[in-house]
Amino acid sequence: MKKQLITLTINDQDYEVAITPMDILADVIRREVQLTGTKKGCGEGDCGACTVIIDGKPELSCLKLAIACQGKKIRTIEGIADPKTGELSPLQKSFLDHGAVQCGFCTPGMIMSSTALLERNPNPTKDEIKKALSGNMCRCTGFVLIVEAIEAYVNAKAESGVN
Amino acid sequence: MNILSDFNYYAPESKAEAFELIAKLGDKCKILAGGTDLLIMMKNGLIEPENIVDIGGIKEFAGIEMKDGKGGEIGACTKIADIENSAAVAGKYGALSHAAGEIGSPQVREMATLGGNSCHASPAAETPASLCAYGAKVVISSKDGDREMELKDFIQGNRQNDLKPGEVLTKFIIPEPKKKSACKYGHIGLRKAMEIDAVNMAVNIAVSDDGSVAEADLVMGSVAPRPLVLPDIKDILVGKKVTDDLAEKVGDAAQAAASPISDVRASAEYRKDVIRALAIRLVKEAYDAAKAA
Ligand SMILES: Cc1cc2nc3c(=O)[nH]c(=O)nc-3n(C[C@H](O)[C@H](O)[C@H](O)COP(=O)(O)OP(=O)(O)OC[C@H]3O[C@@H](n4cnc5c(N)ncnc54)[C@H](O)[C@@H]3O)c2cc1C
Ligand code: FES
Ligand code: FES
Repeated sequence: MKKQLITLTINDQDYEVAITPMDILADVIRREVQLTGTKKGCGEGDCGACTVIIDGKPELSCLKLAIACQGKKIRTIEGIADPKTGELSPLQKSFLDHGAVQCGFCTPGMIMSSTALLERNPNPTKDEIKKALSGNMCRCTGFVLIVEAIEAYVNAKAESGVN
Repeated sequence: MNILSDFNYYAPESKAEAFELIAKLGDKCKILAGGTDLLIMMKNGLIEPENIVDIGGIKEFAGIEMKDGKGGEIGACTKIADIENSAAVAGKYGALSHAAGEIGSPQVREMATLGGNSCHASPAAETPASLCAYGAKVVISSKDGDREMELKDFIQGNRQNDLKPGEVLTKFIIPEPKKKSACKYGHIGLRKAMEIDAVNMAVNIAVSDDGSVAEADLVMGSVAPRPLVLPDIKDILVGKKVTDDLAEKVGDAAQAAASPISDVRASAEYRKDVIRALAIRLVKEAYDAAKAA
């Protein structure tokens, strides 16, 4: 089938991409837009590696048609660090500081799921953090360090008094 | 994994536009709501639709309306997460709220819709048991108008429902719960078990002022190709106060009705034990909660 041009808004930037209706958002983000931070693990909704934030909600880009995302605001892991300097966000730094990243394959999805949680609920309990990450698999860290990294970030922010 | 068959994609903006389009395309189109079942089927090559009509963005098909003393209505395209997070739904239809929160993962719940869960008609689907135990009806619409039917009759078997070409499921209508009543939901199975090994069940009990059972409904999921309603529960409980003995009788009846199969994941014996135990627990929980209501 013939390709058609659509515009995707990713991290506040418009990208014009040529796609067919059957193209999956995760593939378009990685191949056409060339933002390869978003990972594709299972392709079936089970692992969460492909999580992106669409209009404020964490969604799975492997189960999303790219053509259905026109006019929506998409955020990927590339939109989390400072766009000008590339400096990592405090949450990303906390992941590094707490050993929450080993091979790193799950990390973008973990950061997107936790970012969506923290925007909705800036002071989550441990259980709320675990629930928010229940759709993100990690084969390396055993999850404990990831939860610790998010808790430490939440606590540090509470102590510094900025929100 | 990728989708290997191409299709035309349509995203109508209003329900009128959607009905026209779906009528025109007839059996040559597949409806997409949240896509969490449909995309997996397409990736696995189980279906290869020529046309996809995406109704997920049509505002008229989504929304939760809880009416004071007059039941509730939930649009078919309402996201599972919105149901899970609704205090109004939790207050009136706790078992539905509970079931919604058990679906997949947070991301799946943000994408998946209530209508998709019933239309896909997987025997293991999470929400039909509680909706049926509340006596929910569905509204089926097309460009020729609306028709209503009981959800328990709408779901006809594994991946089979009552929709004809040109029709869309648009709404669930749930009756007002009886005054002193409670509905409880429970499931046993693997975590995130989709089409596997889970048994799910909802028990709805209303009591009279003297504490005897006035009405009782039990619906099971995952033990038959469609939600299984257990009429025997009325004969066993209505007019009586629930005792351990009576709860066990309901458990026996549920077990006898279910006739589950043995497969690689669990033996029929195991499944039967689980069904009985779940029925006993939910009958007691619903009865105690109804008395306290
Ligand atoms: C990782 C993962 C985990 C899951 N876990 C669970 C679970 O624990 N429990 C569970 O029950 N389900 C689970 N599911 C299945 C799925 O998420 C649900 O069944 C969901 O509710 C389907 O809704 P949807 O809007 O995504 O449906 P879609 O995929 O959009 O549609 C499903 C089917 O219904 C039809 N359809 C949808 N809406 C309508 C309508 N309004 N009118 C007419 N036809 C319609 C479509 O044509 C299609 O055939 C899981 C899925 C994934 C990917
Ligand atoms: S790649 Fe999307 S959930 Fe695994
Ligand atoms: S760090 Fe390797 S999968 Fe999580």
